[in-house]
Amino acid sequence: MNHSTYVQLLDAACGAFLLAGVLVLWRRDLAAIVRLFALQGGALALLIAVLGVHEGDAEVVALALGIGALRALVLPWLLRRALAGGAANRETQPLVNVATSLTIAALLGLLAYAVSRPIVRLDPTPATHAVPIALTVVLIGLFVLVTRRRALSQIVGFLLMDNGITAVAFLTTSGVPLIVELGVSLDVLLAVLVLQVLTARMRAAFGDTDLDDLRELRD
Amino acid sequence: MTGIIGAVLQVVLVAAGAPLLVGLMRQVRARAEGRAGAGILQPWRDLRKLLRKEPITPHGTGPLFRMAPLLLAGTTLVVAAMIPLVTTRSPLDGAADLFAVTALLALGTVALALAGLDTGTAFGGMGASREMVVLALVEPTILLSTFAMSVRVGSTNLGAIVTSVLDDPQQVVFPASLLALVALVVVVIAEAGRIPVDNPSTHLELTMIHEAMVLEYAGPDLALVEWASAMRLTVLLGLLAGLFAPWGIAVDSPAMLPVGAAAIAAKVAVAGAALAAAEVFMAKLRMFRVPELLAGSFVLALFAVASSFFLVAP
Amino acid sequence: MTLLLIAPLGAPLLAAGAHAVPGRRRGTSWPGALSAAAVLASGIVLAVQTAGGPRTGLHGLLRADSLSAFMLIVIGAVALLAMLASPAYLAAEEAAGHATARDTRRYGVLTQAFVAAMALAVLAASLGTLWVAIEATTIVTAFLVGHRRTRNATEAAWKYVVICSAGIALAFLGVALLHFAAQHAHVPSSGSLDWTELAAHAGSLDPQVTRIAVALLVLGFGAKAGLAPLHAWLPDAHSQAPAPVSALMSGVLLSVAFYAVLRVKVIADAALGAGFARALLLTAALASLALAAALLLGQRDYKRMLAYSSIEHMGLLALGAAIGTPLAMTAVLLHVLGHGLAKSVAFLTSGHIQQAAGTSRIAAVRGFAARSPLIGGGFGAAVLALLGFPPFSLFASELAIFRAGFTAGLGWAVGAALVLLLVITAAVAAGTARMLLGAPGTGPGAATLPSRPPLGAAAGLLLGLSACAVLGIGLGPLHDLLLDAAAVLGAH
Repeated sequence: MNHSTYVQLLDAACGAFLLAGVLVLWRRDLAAIVRLFALQGGALALLIAVLGVHEGDAEVVALALGIGALRALVLPWLLRRALAGGAANRETQPLVNVATSLTIAALLGLLAYAVSRPIVRLDPTPATHAVPIALTVVLIGLFVLVTRRRALSQIVGFLLMDNGITAVAFLTTSGVPLIVELGVSLDVLLAVLVLQVLTARMRAAFGDTDLDDLRELRD
Repeated sequence: MTGIIGAVLQVVLVAAGAPLLVGLMRQVRARAEGRAGAGILQPWRDLRKLLRKEPITPHGTGPLFRMAPLLLAGTTLVVAAMIPLVTTRSPLDGAADLFAVTALLALGTVALALAGLDTGTAFGGMGASREMVVLALVEPTILLSTFAMSVRVGSTNLGAIVTSVLDDPQQVVFPASLLALVALVVVVIAEAGRIPVDNPSTHLELTMIHEAMVLEYAGPDLALVEWASAMRLTVLLGLLAGLFAPWGIAVDSPAMLPVGAAAIAAKVAVAGAALAAAEVFMAKLRMFRVPELLAGSFVLALFAVASSFFLVAP
Repeated sequence: MTLLLIAPLGAPLLAAGAHAVPGRRRGTSWPGALSAAAVLASGIVLAVQTAGGPRTGLHGLLRADSLSAFMLIVIGAVALLAMLASPAYLAAEEAAGHATARDTRRYGVLTQAFVAAMALAVLAASLGTLWVAIEATTIVTAFLVGHRRTRNATEAAWKYVVICSAGIALAFLGVALLHFAAQHAHVPSSGSLDWTELAAHAGSLDPQVTRIAVALLVLGFGAKAGLAPLHAWLPDAHSQAPAPVSALMSGVLLSVAFYAVLRVKVIADAALGAGFARALLLTAALASLALAAALLLGQRDYKRMLAYSSIEHMGLLALGAAIGTPLAMTAVLLHVLGHGLAKSVAFLTSGHIQQAAGTSRIAAVRGFAARSPLIGGGFGAAVLALLGFPPFSLFASELAIFRAGFTAGLGWAVGAALVLLLVITAAVAAGTARMLLGAPGTGPGAATLPSRPPLGAAAGLLLGLSACAVLGIGLGPLHDLLLDAAAVLGAH
């Protein structure tokens, strides 16, 4: 793979990664949000695979396959199962309306660019230049987590954050050590499983999973 | 020489082809819905019918009302002559700045909105105010996304951007271009008044945007407005095709001009047919959701600019 | 050596296996307590072994130094108290119909896995493994928080998992960035997240990237340690979890997360100078103290009162760490142990009170000291210890932190903290006095006297309180360990 193709593929994967993240903010339909998340998982796997092939590191390519399977197939499947159990399938009233969230996403993007300047400066390769994009996705995920009311949207927000962080890890240093990466993936999987069980319990206890109903515990 | 012939060819092509494009899109939609359709030539027949009618204007309207269709058609024709459709060597290329193009298109829209207000009817004013909302949201996105394309080239001249894409076709899959493409598609749909922002074939005044402004026009004036609207759609689709898939466009030799004309006709026809096919599956958005759509495209355009600045160019 | 390092992980996992065997009833008593005792014992042995220097095992994945050994002792001690109290708590829950035998078995497995994850966190040789272990504690305890399956418990578990996972995800971003900085500082790639390697090469880490990484790590691990601003899960989770789990979470889990912050601080100080981590920790400390003081005033739920008291004590730990002198660091570590013991006794007794009164509202409990001197007295003594009264060790450690603060020129911060502590003391003392003193009321639950806690649980409470009191009088053999551990934290 020559340098220009590498940069091309890397940037294309990053573009798709970011696009999927922004579209999650845009859509209200939870099923569409899950599809976008799966798409983003695919883009992340492509991104890692491109990095792995470029460095000729078979371990990273294998990790890309594993991460792709987890984030583009297994996690969306789990989310769809959680979705199938519930009646509500739309994010009806986010705390911040969609037009404003999109504008805020733009600001978050600028913030990410500002914050990641030192990272790019330390090692200006094509891969680190894409770190702001991954960081934008982290911030968008955090924003979704904070402003969305449906349980499923919050899980997706958490997973967007996680996708973004994984992307940062691979873009900066082709990933943290293998054992940590495995631990992280396992943790994410388990966290989603736990959240899925809790979603089912919440549905049993509250009727639906609008987190606005979670107002019993406060001071 | 190539430039002058090419520019004339562009104007003729747009002027003659625009109603055909609308006819094609209606035909695609009709077929997709299981109807026979009126045929591709039907818009031309409609225009002929309207032109034969006696020109009348409502009471109390001023010169603005009569000037607006001319201004709309005139600005669109100028844009058609400027932008790189058949050739990049248009004699007006020096003025084919993306800012100039946007301003010209906006001028036509504003004229029509003023005409809608001039009639003093409720629907005219409503349509004008809605059109201004959409315009206000669309303009920044068009500017930003074309700007994203121009950062790499170092010029906001449309001909230069198209030439650079021709020289290095790979850059179309660059994230900046991809994001800008998505943003531009959305604003082109909004600007041309298509579903899901506006429904060109609606008969319900309350849901109208563009149609509400032109409700009071009749006869040749209406023909002019309809023709100009069709040309706007053609020009916008042509601009999209030129920026993102400029292959076949004539650069130097006059011999390439027929090829360029055929290529742009085919590209615009394909884009129009795809748009019409997509519209079959969509419903019009409620008016208050339109800003969401346009805000989304604005964000994408902004990210396009940002990534064209910050990512390493291949 | 490897065996000794694996023992604190293996013993709880074995016990978890023993709990997992179906068909056993009330099997939570001896394997749980034994494994906790094993963790405590291996902590003590490791403390002796590591006096000469750190020991590694399992291909460099695990490393024990004095600090790890000390944290193991804290984990073992608090786990022992919690495990001694668990059988009685579970029996009462089953008798009241809140839990089934299956729930009980799951409780046994999860609490042991929880202890194992905490032991892994303090024994981890690298930042990455530590991160994995701390995230594992979130997952394991999620179902423990939601153990009762009520509306409130589910809500608390949801908030807990979402906020802690998000916070810890930010910490992972910090890990990734630190890894990036380390690779460019020519840290060998095999150990680029290893504590000692990072500390040794800290001087050549890129300061700007390290600054972002440290801020994220402190914020992320701070979320898990209950430090403001990501503390919102803590009062909910600690008040809804079963009492022994609350004891474990409040008594050690917070400290284990804080241990991660301390380790990060060592690297931050070496790479960026002391100012950066100090500013971060001071902000978190004062914010946490102010928040705890504001929400303790007029608090109507005694389990939440204890939870906010945990935020307060985490704030004090952060204050001590921000001061960073040898005296302050030693006091911080002593405070971790004292707080672990006192807070777990307080939560365990509050569990008994809750089972007797049927509610956790302060107003519903009256004159409890008269109804059950052991439980009421234990709760009162633990709260006194938490408020920093002598002879308990928290008095000594808080005094030392404040003295160190004045000496280090952070008098303004210490002054502010003292004012906030005064408010907190008044609020907590008033609430506790209403619960314990006076004649028993006539509300629901007043008619039935609480069942006397079984011998194991009562012994645990007394053991915890007396250990806390003895530590306040003299440190004995712990003295050297504390100094060594403080030296590991860079306070020479």
